[in-house]
Amino acid sequence: MITVTGLVKRYDRNEILKGISLEVRKGEVHSIIGPSGGGKSTFLRCINGLEAFQGGEIRVGNRMLTPATSPRGDARLLEAVRRQVGFVFQQFNLFPHLTVLENVIEAPMQVLKLKRGEAAGRAAALLERVGLEAKHHAYPRDLSGGQQQRVAIARALVMEPDAILFDEPTSALDPVMAGEILSLMEGLARDGQTMIVVTHSMGFARNVASQVHVFADGYDVESGPPATVFGDPRHPTTRAFLSQTAKD
Amino acid sequence: MRQWLGGSVAGCVLAALLLPCAASADALADMRKTGRMLWGGDQEGGGPYVFPMENDPSRVTGFEVDFANRIGEYLKVKAEFTQGQWDKMPDMLRTGKIHAIINGYEFTRERAEIMDATIPYYVYALQLMGRADNPRIGSWASLGGPGGAARVKIGVLNGSAAEAYARAFCGGRCDVIAYEGNTDTMREVETGKLDATVEDTPIAAFYAPRFRALRAIEKPVQRGYYVIYVKKGETALLQALNEAIVLMVRNGDLERIYRKYGIWDEQQAELAGIAEKGRFYGYFRATDARIEKNRMPAEESVQVDTRKRGWRVVKDYSGILIESAGMTVVLSCLSFPLAILVGLLIAVGRLYGRSWLRLPLTGYVEFLRGTPVMLQLYFIFFFLPEIGVRVPAFWTAILGLAINYSAYESEIYRAGLQAVPKGQMEAALSLGMSRPLALRRIIVPQAVRIVIPPVVNDFIALFKDTSVCSVVTIVELTKRFSVLSMSTQATVELMGMTAVLYLMMSYPMSILSRRIEKRLGLEAQA
Repeated sequence: MITVTGLVKRYDRNEILKGISLEVRKGEVHSIIGPSGGGKSTFLRCINGLEAFQGGEIRVGNRMLTPATSPRGDARLLEAVRRQVGFVFQQFNLFPHLTVLENVIEAPMQVLKLKRGEAAGRAAALLERVGLEAKHHAYPRDLSGGQQQRVAIARALVMEPDAILFDEPTSALDPVMAGEILSLMEGLARDGQTMIVVTHSMGFARNVASQVHVFADGYDVESGPPATVFGDPRHPTTRAFLSQTAKD
Repeated sequence: MRQWLGGSVAGCVLAALLLPCAASADALADMRKTGRMLWGGDQEGGGPYVFPMENDPSRVTGFEVDFANRIGEYLKVKAEFTQGQWDKMPDMLRTGKIHAIINGYEFTRERAEIMDATIPYYVYALQLMGRADNPRIGSWASLGGPGGAARVKIGVLNGSAAEAYARAFCGGRCDVIAYEGNTDTMREVETGKLDATVEDTPIAAFYAPRFRALRAIEKPVQRGYYVIYVKKGETALLQALNEAIVLMVRNGDLERIYRKYGIWDEQQAELAGIAEKGRFYGYFRATDARIEKNRMPAEESVQVDTRKRGWRVVKDYSGILIESAGMTVVLSCLSFPLAILVGLLIAVGRLYGRSWLRLPLTGYVEFLRGTPVMLQLYFIFFFLPEIGVRVPAFWTAILGLAINYSAYESEIYRAGLQAVPKGQMEAALSLGMSRPLALRRIIVPQAVRIVIPPVVNDFIALFKDTSVCSVVTIVELTKRFSVLSMSTQATVELMGMTAVLYLMMSYPMSILSRRIEKRLGLEAQA
């Protein structure tokens, strides 16, 4: 479903991604872990076209992003890719001028051209699923961080994307709220939702992911099923990282 | 009256250089066709020229009004007064907004270069005036004063022939102080702040009853002529006007009009000489003008009352001031939404548009911010007609204000748009929205909330800036204040009323904006 081949991303002379290749099939959950500055978030942002890149290619379904893809000239292509891949941000990025319900139905109505009733129906079901059925008319500023992230997840789900990219979804939350979000994501995984999750939660990576990737210094230094990566880490960076996180 | 030549002459010369052969339509034919003679004047000049009627300040009266009406009768057209800024009259003439200037315009060689002048309709001179109970000022010679005593202070109208004369006369032996209003100096002499003033004879004569503490000193000096100016080359109209003036000199119409305003004096005898001998700067002998015996009906003389004061002023003039405040409101409320719309489009274009679009938009903003709105209005009103674009005064005002303020608005919006976190655009894009859709639905609505306070601030500023529209003949609150204060001298009362009116209109806007801010939950968004 998502195939990344030899992805290279540079900011000026600074190479962030140094040739990443990775394949995500339908229903798989990939977790990307590793030390900060390893290029995890940048990688996710390249996949849905929020960042341009300088080498390699990204295939999403039957659409292809290349270094030649331009934010303006290929706007249609990028919009199509983004409809296929949802994105959940570390800082939630809810629309502060809209209520919870409006946040969720905005894109279905404006992008998918659904009627308000249909969009609201979908939204209501999803808000119930994330446990916010009582908050339809609240504004984001009235919600806790965990609640906001749950709305953001509902907002991504309502577009019925083929895959969802999570960029450190729990890093801005306290442990209790983080736990709630992680179990919500675990539920999504069980239902077969394809996901790529950049996370610092080793528990999620170990227990939920079908594949784990360790990013360090712009390389995917080690990847495989969680049992292998966590149980028998080969790469020194992985070992160092895991022993460091184990102390936390 | 004033001789604000510098600006007008420069403007006309410049325009003449740019467009050496502006189309010369026959003004007289145009007047006959439309049945109207549009004559220009500025009622701010005050009495006895053109000034608001005492009992109906929305209409004008004055010896020039009577004079123009009478000319209209002879030319078989309806004379219509057209309000304009005094020093902008030549531009109004040049751009065809009026057919003739009748407003105390002196004959000068500089003006005759750019416009055509009729024979004079009034002979004015400069009258020295001082306080009756001040023995120190008894003659022109006494102004120089002996050494030792404090220097004499003489007030004059800024840019007038009187100023030029007084400065030349004093030559450092006395102080000449220039004022903006015709009668300001007379009041200052009355209160003792000035020792003397030099006024055109019609003003001195007309306002004498209102300034009883003043007296005329010596005979008037430095004779000059008020003439009608028409566009250069309008010989048919010039001839018709000259014939009418000759006729009015001969049949006594002029004398009657001038007596009505108390400004007929022995100097006017010269008018007859000019009319009969045709010796005015080369003009023809108007012997063929018919003498008609239809005498004008005798009219009551118009004289100024003693100055109105206090509540009387409030009662008599609040109506017309409120009416003029209406114009201020209409101007602001029509131009500002336009400014917001254009400003928003420019800001979005500069921030999110393609690179080739950014440079011209930046240029637009910098140009409009960097030049005075007055010049922009002037350009639309007096220059665009030269290239065939005629915008009526009202729409000139709306357009000029809107364009000028769109530059300021766009900068506010640019700041507002930039204040919306980057993650908002990313979130919108990641949901599959196109950039324009994201802007319209997500970014702009948030920016609008951020910019409400500065935008309201700007609106209040625009609201007060509407006063510059008087340069394009619009009479709004400030202009009305100036007009009334010149003709009534009740400056303090009128100033108070005008200030209260502005405040009554702008303060509710501040309140409204605070309410909108609250409703949109701006304070909780920070």
